[in-house]
Amino acid sequence: MRTQTALGAAAVLLLAAAAYVGLFASPPDAFQGEYVRIMYAHVPNAWVAYLAFAITFASSALYLWKRRSGYDHVAHSATELGVLFTGLALATGSMWGRPVWGTWWTWDARLVTTAILFLIYSGALLVRGLSDDPQRGARLAAVIGIIGFLDIPVIHYSVTWFRTLHQPASIGPGSLKIAPPMLLALLLSLLAFTVLFAYLLRLRTSLARLEAGAELS
Amino acid sequence: MNGLLRAAAVARKDLLVEWRGRQTTTATGMVALLMILLLGFVIGSEPGRAAAVLWVALGFAAVVGIPRITQSEVEQQALETLLLYPGSREHLYWGKSVALLIMLAALLVALLLLLGLLFSVDVWSHWGALLGVGMLGIVGLSAIGTLLAALVLHVRGRELLMPLLLLPLALPVVLGCVRLTEAVLADTPAGLWPVVLVAFDLVYLLVCPILFEVVMEEV
Repeated sequence: MRTQTALGAAAVLLLAAAAYVGLFASPPDAFQGEYVRIMYAHVPNAWVAYLAFAITFASSALYLWKRRSGYDHVAHSATELGVLFTGLALATGSMWGRPVWGTWWTWDARLVTTAILFLIYSGALLVRGLSDDPQRGARLAAVIGIIGFLDIPVIHYSVTWFRTLHQPASIGPGSLKIAPPMLLALLLSLLAFTVLFAYLLRLRTSLARLEAGAELS
Repeated sequence: MNGLLRAAAVARKDLLVEWRGRQTTTATGMVALLMILLLGFVIGSEPGRAAAVLWVALGFAAVVGIPRITQSEVEQQALETLLLYPGSREHLYWGKSVALLIMLAALLVALLLLLGLLFSVDVWSHWGALLGVGMLGIVGLSAIGTLLAALVLHVRGRELLMPLLLLPLALPVVLGCVRLTEAVLADTPAGLWPVVLVAFDLVYLLVCPILFEVVMEEV
């Protein structure tokens, strides 16, 4: 409980610091102007989403191997948070894309892969919710958590090559040169979001454990 | 009895049931035909669009057809008996996926012929390559499809879940086959697409039989 409170306090402090550095202390971008500040919210969202899906994969595999419900609670919580942060990453990316690229959406590989991931893991949550029995739901969701994660590299490369055969990718990671103060702001918000994610994951996992306990009694 | 024979027996049973009723083949064939007619009419039937139309149609047909391969076990309460037979459940997976593979391959052949007629593409002179590309895709579809068909068995609303799970997961198959079919029809180099498809097939042929056993456990 005390760890949880400390983690929450750290998340709040780091988020406040990241917000200050991202909004005021860091310089505007030479090309993107003030819009570059959306990056400090967008990139951490995407990072946390991928982190969550990696945790889903690991805990799903552990659950199927060891069959301890604790692993399933972590997998369930990580899937939910992953879907949430994928949605946020898509939304913030769209808001950033509108002023910078001039469009809400483009068929860039990264965008399509992220949207597909959102669908796969929403499917995992649906399967869990719609199965007749919680244990079976846990097993089936773990299976999707595993095959979905194995699919990520294949989806990413296939989506990249599907488009790049015809047109070069509009925005690549190398095209955004990043200045040291901006890098600092980005790293700070990455850290803040990671701590926030750790806090939420612990909170959600203990909620899942309590829910399972309530169902048994 | 060894595993190969067990798998063959399951495949034979599934194909025989399908041959007697021919419901799944008819339904999936109709869906694919509808998709081809609809897409051909809406976006135009230029030969350049044939590959995309073919694989979108086949993808939707797979979504409709794949849940059917375990449906009959549920409707006739035969699943418990099937699971009671001695031996590993992996053989059940192989049998079912081979049956699915054969059904999808038959569908592919029919659709290729149809495409030659409707989109005026030259399927005859590329027959072998088109079938080869198609088989690469269909192996992947049936590998993951058999697992998903078992997965949605005990879930409410399985007809709704199947497209939601199969289409995103099998996206690399559809994309790869579209580009490879285009390359075959236009005689252009295939690039790295065969690698993508083979990688997809291998990963899922290795992983899905193991996960199938997990899915098929009783509660």
